[in-house]
Amino acid sequence: MQQLATGSKMSFIPNPNLKISNRPRWRLPYLYDLLRELVSREMKLLYKRSVLGVAWTLINPLLQLAVFSFVFRLVLSVDVPHYASFAFCGLLVWSWFQTSLFQATGVIIANRPLIRQPGFPTAILPVVIVMTGLIHFLLALPVLIMFLLMDGIELELVVLFLPILQVLQFAFTVGVAYLLAAINVTLRDTQHTLGVLLQLLFYLTPIFYDITNVPTGYQSLYYLNPMVHIVTAYRAVLIQGTPPNGLPLLVIGFVTAGLIWFGYRVFASASDRFVEEL
Amino acid sequence: MHDAILVQELGKCFHHYHAERPVTIMEAVLSGWRRMKPAQRFWALREVSFRVAPGEMLGIIGHNGAGKSTLLQLLGGVGRADEGSVKVHGRIGALLELGAGFHPDLTGRENLFVTAVAAGLTRREVARRLDAIIEFAELELFIDNPVRTYSTGMQMRLAFSVAVHTSPEVLLVDEFLSVGDLSLQAKCLERIAELKTQGCAIILISHSAEQIGQLCDHALWLRRGQIVAYGEPEVVAGQYTTEMRLETQQRTPVRAPQLTRTGMELRINENRFGSMEVEITDVRLLPVSEINSGDFLGVEIEYLAPQPIDAPIFSVSISDEEGQFCFDTNTAAMERELPLVEGKGQITLNFNRLDLSSGRYFLNVGVYEQNWAYAYDYHWHVYPLLVHSSTVSEKGILCPPCR
Repeated sequence: MQQLATGSKMSFIPNPNLKISNRPRWRLPYLYDLLRELVSREMKLLYKRSVLGVAWTLINPLLQLAVFSFVFRLVLSVDVPHYASFAFCGLLVWSWFQTSLFQATGVIIANRPLIRQPGFPTAILPVVIVMTGLIHFLLALPVLIMFLLMDGIELELVVLFLPILQVLQFAFTVGVAYLLAAINVTLRDTQHTLGVLLQLLFYLTPIFYDITNVPTGYQSLYYLNPMVHIVTAYRAVLIQGTPPNGLPLLVIGFVTAGLIWFGYRVFASASDRFVEEL
Repeated sequence: MHDAILVQELGKCFHHYHAERPVTIMEAVLSGWRRMKPAQRFWALREVSFRVAPGEMLGIIGHNGAGKSTLLQLLGGVGRADEGSVKVHGRIGALLELGAGFHPDLTGRENLFVTAVAAGLTRREVARRLDAIIEFAELELFIDNPVRTYSTGMQMRLAFSVAVHTSPEVLLVDEFLSVGDLSLQAKCLERIAELKTQGCAIILISHSAEQIGQLCDHALWLRRGQIVAYGEPEVVAGQYTTEMRLETQQRTPVRAPQLTRTGMELRINENRFGSMEVEITDVRLLPVSEINSGDFLGVEIEYLAPQPIDAPIFSVSISDEEGQFCFDTNTAAMERELPLVEGKGQITLNFNRLDLSSGRYFLNVGVYEQNWAYAYDYHWHVYPLLVHSSTVSEKGILCPPCR
């Protein structure tokens, strides 16, 4: 028999030769299956938990739209052409962003058993949330198109920019979600704080009003918010039928690439801590 | 052939944070981001090295907090080692927290898919194994019912079935065989043995020395994150059991000498050991403590458990004045498990006839933690037993009836 009882060293210097070869293999077909399974779980849960199921994803923005239409056309009278399409477009884009961030922040804590599964790629979890949001967005898209047609808007060819905008928004949201999910493990009220901040940001993003109504002195501040550009671009493509303003989107694209890289790094280094802190 | 698992000089360091470490953003801001740094560190694992070949089973034994689960997590690639390396070849399957990942609102089939894909199978692979998984779990009739309608046993069967059908090359088993009914346990063990013969390397965590001794090819004993012994399972299990006795001595509280109801003096750490979570308040020998060889003897043990205690084990032994054991039995060996004890109670052992040769003996009684981890109370050489015999000399121990 081998006796390996040893005294303890007092150094706390991590071993630079650390090698762990049992990291998950990143097989693309497998990741696709995993993403599909987890997204479909989210969708099924939504179906099963309420009679209305996925209809809820429509009812919420529609109710908001009804209130906004009443307040801003009859009470305060905001002068925006095609107001219903205008506001609904903004609401869909914003609710994808807001719901995804809010849920992704709590995703680590909600999926503890999955994270403890050997070889489970934890980094997929925020992607699952944003993907689920995208599916809801796509499901609501026909209703938006209906509004557009009712407002007498004809879809131009520039509508082909839509998928590009969605990819951009997807990537941007995932990048932010990585950061928030990592922070939430250490500071558990991140989700609550985020809820409040997102609500404020909702009012500070031109969702139910047009950016041209904002006093010019403040407009430059508005343009620091990437969501302003993204919402504006969606409206350009869908409502005005003009190509989106390319430069800000290009900048957001580069920022997003850096954000995903940075967010993923933070998330990955934090994910080794997740198991200890949960 | 190379090792399925190779662990070299593995070390894992945990952080103890300040007791008032901010856990919310508000607190963090108010405290000016102070106290966010770890206050202390301690090594949950240090200098752990071992290897497991394909088709081998390694048992890991140790008390709670010895680092067993941390080691299992690192083997599964969950968390990062601070020192050394872990090399695992092949797909890892895990039997940890069985069924914890199930969603109660989804059906068995839906949960099966999610769990199996999360465990590393593609959808097509799951579809191919679907029938086998359901059949093994014996859930053909219930697979499309929501999991919230399942019993714990059904959930465990499903989780186990999924885990063993992922064709793992390395299987990590956390102490789960202590739960679930006996038939399920037997079925699981059988399946694990089957995987083993197919060349799957298995790591089994247990704090039952007996289980390790029976099932494993090698055993490793961890204490406070370090290897105490590594080698033949019987030897390691034996060492562990011996250590357990020392543990009992350390847990024995300081207390003034006490008298039992029948007037025997109990002195802590002299003739009495244990944590006193269950106390033996009196022991009576019936009819008397002075018998003729071959007579009937009853041993009545009165106990007091201030807190409910799960499945304690009672033991009775007879030893001579030099401490040589002549007889030893316990409720676990006699398969008389006690479910739960609380408050006052009494337990009796009857010898139909006691064929000891004449001499002075002592009756020793004890009550132990359900896994023999330590003694609650043990009385050593407190209760004298005098045996008279006219037929044999005092040299021997036995005095069976003979012609």
